[in-house]
Amino acid sequence: MDIFASVLNAALLAVLLQNSIFERALGSNILIYASRKKSYVIGFSLVIIYVTALSSVFVWFLDTTLADFEYFGILMPLLYILVISVIYILSLIIIWRFMPKLFGKIKSYVHLSVFNCSVLGALFLNTQFGEGLAGYIGFGIGTGLGFFLAGYLLYIAHTKLNSDLVPAAFRGLPVTLVYVGIISLALYAFVGYATR
Amino acid sequence: MKTISDKPKIKARPSDGFVRQNIVLMSGLLTGPVIAGAKDFESAAAISIVFVIITFFSVAFCRLVPRKLVYTLRIILYAIVASALYIPAVLACEYLMGEEAVLRAGIYLPVLVVNHVILSKTETRFFQLSYGQMLIDTAGYIGGFVCACFATGIIRDLLVNARIGMIEIETGFDVPALETTFGGFIVVGVLAGLCRALYNRSQNQRNQNRLNQKKEQE
Repeated sequence: MDIFASVLNAALLAVLLQNSIFERALGSNILIYASRKKSYVIGFSLVIIYVTALSSVFVWFLDTTLADFEYFGILMPLLYILVISVIYILSLIIIWRFMPKLFGKIKSYVHLSVFNCSVLGALFLNTQFGEGLAGYIGFGIGTGLGFFLAGYLLYIAHTKLNSDLVPAAFRGLPVTLVYVGIISLALYAFVGYATR
Repeated sequence: MKTISDKPKIKARPSDGFVRQNIVLMSGLLTGPVIAGAKDFESAAAISIVFVIITFFSVAFCRLVPRKLVYTLRIILYAIVASALYIPAVLACEYLMGEEAVLRAGIYLPVLVVNHVILSKTETRFFQLSYGQMLIDTAGYIGGFVCACFATGIIRDLLVNARIGMIEIETGFDVPALETTFGGFIVVGVLAGLCRALYNRSQNQRNQNRLNQKKEQE
């Protein structure tokens, strides 16, 4: 029960208080790309949940064993990328071998959903906020769920944000960024607003 | 089926990456570190230094990766090369800006190793250029990012702290909310809109001038 509570607690932290998009702007470029289609939002979110949750196990192991190593901080990106790469390649081999239909569906965007700021950033945030293995996994799952929340909110507004009602210069990317900024502002109410 | 190598060769134009396909303000390929990281002049400088070193050398090296290698492996190689280059990049940044600037930029420095200039542009654009042309083209993309990052950092530094870097500027007001992530989204969104408006205007003027010249010739 304690393990479940830890996972849930960390996942809620990642979805609401440390949302990778609204609070950290990590992976906002991928989000804008994914929000074009509902299937992309779901596909990207599932891949992010899978990769971050699985990577979190290895990252937790690295964080606990190498915590005292002097140069761990500077080697972190390299080690984390190696972890993500191993998971990426093994998963792709398994999917390609046993689920060729799924492989065909995801192959056009799977690299984008694995190698992005959202996944890598979640692993760094895990190092800061994760408590224990369950916490790390929960935070990984929460990052993907947070991405889904942001992606869905953007998907439902996608047509309006790209419509003729928006001035030509602000259509697309600029108004999308302002829109995400306004949702991010709304989410600040959860944490309480404080700057300095 | 056509592959990238079958596509017609394109001509390198540094202005493409600098303005037309600016990765922050026009195409939005790399916005996160600018929105949430470039909170002031120093952070913008730290992000820019690390981005320049990682991206330029990664692209220069990754262009040499054989095309025979499958994309799944190539993209892993790109990410590994970039994360290995993070080490000298962050050391250079620490040397130039001090440890505090690196700490302030936080996780927005290491996440630069998975930027889309390295992972996507290498595949879709740089492979179609000769090596020399590719370096010029990459410099354009990097210049575009650095300008957008500094513009965001300077605006926020001025409106939040009433200074630009070390120079104090008496503004008589401050807007602390711009320091936050939502402030970053709004600043970058407005800058992107202005950049597009100016670009569209200049393009329209250029087209109009061409039309006028044609009419005069006729």
